[in-house]
Amino acid sequence: MKKSLTFLALSMLAITVIRAQTSEVESTLKRYAELRPREKDLSMYRIDWAPSLKEAQSRALKENRPVFLVIIHAKYGNLFSGHC
Amino acid sequence: MVRLLRPFIAASWYGHRNAPDLPNAVRTVWREKLGRQNGNGPGLREKQSNVDLAILDAKGNLVHWFDGFHRMGGKSLPNGQRQESLGDYTARELQKATTKLHLADTPREEPQLKLPDPGQLGMRVFITLLEERMRAYRAPVVEAVHLTRNDWNPLAYPDRETIIEASLLKKWLSQLYPPGVMERTDPQTKQVYRISKIRGSLSLKPAGSFNNIRYALLTGRIILTDEGPDHFSHEGDIEIVLTYSKTRSTPQSLRGIFDGTYLRFNPMNRAFREVPLQAVFEALPMVDKNP
Repeated sequence: MKKSLTFLALSMLAITVIRAQTSEVESTLKRYAELRPREKDLSMYRIDWAPSLKEAQSRALKENRPVFLVIIHAKYGNLFSGHC
Repeated sequence: MVRLLRPFIAASWYGHRNAPDLPNAVRTVWREKLGRQNGNGPGLREKQSNVDLAILDAKGNLVHWFDGFHRMGGKSLPNGQRQESLGDYTARELQKATTKLHLADTPREEPQLKLPDPGQLGMRVFITLLEERMRAYRAPVVEAVHLTRNDWNPLAYPDRETIIEASLLKKWLSQLYPPGVMERTDPQTKQVYRISKIRGSLSLKPAGSFNNIRYALLTGRIILTDEGPDHFSHEGDIEIVLTYSKTRSTPQSLRGIFDGTYLRFNPMNRAFREVPLQAVFEALPMVDKNP
């Protein structure tokens, strides 16, 4: 009887621990879902960026498309990678 | 804005007037801009920024250009509006350019969302600086970090709680700084100081299982120090869920967040203020499931 009660108590403890940890998992995944940018927030990544002006002009000629060029008068600023 | 930019291939270029590889289009834009500054152009002595936007046709001819920030002020606007929005200003200037271009053959369909590709084993980190004073700084930047199988070893399934030094995860934790702000730069190279040191002890512990998936949680506080000479640091909390199969100890997926603060220096009052810095991590199968 004592053994059964001990087993039951340990089992309940294990369930409690797993449930408690699972709720932590759920809570973290919920925060992840809340913080992950939505598609509308990522619209910058819908623009057809070329990694360089040279590549943009090469593609423009092949695809008969115009180029939208951002010129930054500075020692550094790369909009393609988001580091500006 | 994205709709207006559909026909275009976008690119950015940075540099100075004496750059050896100065493209022709940039040379023309700056020559005309300098002319305006000297009072030879239509906008006499306009206040100008260091960002210009130029439209080139398919053959590389300059069609139109405009200062990136020279929007209309209150005097020119109806209804007492104080200032034209940057979006409205850019759209207005883009429309001037499109009237000069023949865009009938260019693509019009909705462009696909193309996030940087971290490869099969890599990690995507979405970083957002919640800056109230500059809306553009709130735009998330997506970093793709390529990883190897060995990079995942510290996150092998733990049978019991284990402590992991955050420095072992430096390859991807080092992305936790605001990349779009250029706040902390080397005065010589103007390159942003990278994160050089990460401190913190993270707890990795089993977190139950469901069907054939085992879970583990990685949590803790980390301090990130950049390579600047003043040992500038910022910090925040990590909360990450990892999944594993029943039989293998290497992670199957990773999803989680960083919730921290970044100190921004205000040169006006020469004081720092705290700005929330948040990030989302996702890796492994998530790479395939999300765009």
